Amino acid sequence: MATQPLTDILPDAAVDITDVVCPVTFVKAKVALEELDEGQILSVRMNDGEPVQNVPRSIKEEGHQVLKLIDNGDGTYQLLVRKMGE
Amino acid sequence: MPFTNDQLQRYSRHIILQEVGAKGQRKLCEAKVLIIGAGGLGAPAALYLAAAGIGTIGIADADEVDLSNLQRQVIHTTPDVGKAKVLSAQETMNRINPEVTVKTYRTFVMADNIMELIADYDFILDGTDNFPAKFLINDACVLAGKPFSHAGIIRFKGQLMTYVPGQGPCYRCVFREPPPPDAVPTCKQAGVIGAMGGVIGSLQAMEAIKYILGKGDLLTGYLLTYDALKMDFRKIRLPRRDTCAVCGKSPTILAPFDYAQAVCELG
Amino acid sequence: MTITVAGNKKEYPDGLTVAALLAAENVETPEYVTVSLNDDFVPGDSFDQTVLGDGDEVEFMYFMGGGR
Repeated sequence: MATQPLTDILPDAAVDITDVVCPVTFVKAKVALEELDEGQILSVRMNDGEPVQNVPRSIKEEGHQVLKLIDNGDGTYQLLVRKMGE
Repeated sequence: MPFTNDQLQRYSRHIILQEVGAKGQRKLCEAKVLIIGAGGLGAPAALYLAAAGIGTIGIADADEVDLSNLQRQVIHTTPDVGKAKVLSAQETMNRINPEVTVKTYRTFVMADNIMELIADYDFILDGTDNFPAKFLINDACVLAGKPFSHAGIIRFKGQLMTYVPGQGPCYRCVFREPPPPDAVPTCKQAGVIGAMGGVIGSLQAMEAIKYILGKGDLLTGYLLTYDALKMDFRKIRLPRRDTCAVCGKSPTILAPFDYAQAVCELG
Repeated sequence: MTITVAGNKKEYPDGLTVAALLAAENVETPEYVTVSLNDDFVPGDSFDQTVLGDGDEVEFMYFMGGGR
């Protein structure tokens, strides 16, 4: 299956933002991150194009650590983010 | 309950803000704000609070919409003339945001009902147009330990201050007693630019939102004055009055009471 | 002497009282104005006796009753 993680990093939670458009893409990821504890890892599934360009950057600007961006090969990407302190 | 995609979209410009986020928006969605007076100040405040998703908004006013209100009370429209202001306001607010609960109180706010009225609310906005009501709201909020925003507008001028229990002075610290009826002009006699309600009422909504979020500095201990003709905003530092009759060291006002209304404001 | 009135520096003769300042500044209904002097309220019954000095900061607070 395409959804199988292609990485050894195990996320604590996952959010799918392929069903929304900017700026709700980032908002949905941000909300999911807020629900995690510091140090936990979120997996974000997003569409190619605008989300891939903007969402990782916005998450970085919020002070979180972007660990990996994986091309799922089906027009979607998986972004792994470590939540940092508020 | 997690936000739906529609809610994330509706509140996205809030949630994106570092100072708000999902946690802050949740606070707004769970907050209860009471607006006393659905007029020049209350109208813009009610619109912005409803749009912001304040979970429960109470609105108290005994009047019906009059043609002379529409120059400034932007929550009411021409077809609303003759309708109860609280109902007209409720309809507009729910059209903007069907998610908020708008509770209507079609009544004059008086000493015998104000304590019950404010009991359920986290923050109160004074949007009234007369000194007896402004002193009553102040006294009741001080006695009940409720934060509130006071405001007044006239001609090209407006002012506001925020009271938070235990912090800074109250309205009575500054003004002590209402002026005698008809000694100081009101909007009815003196006029007011409609946009003044928009400026000052929106600032009141902003104070309520900041209080709920717990972010930034409130207008406690300050009177913000706005002179539109001089285009001058000033923050005047307010001393606290230890001898204040309601919030001072030995208060003499222990329960809310009504002052006589100016004759021209009745009916 | 120089005093600051509502944020503006102004020159006034020595010995000026709060009551005289209210008159000089053309304050409407001065009997209903709250006055603070250097961050303290001036009691309403002592405007006549309160003499201002160089460097004083005076603020006027006005009743504003409108809103609906």
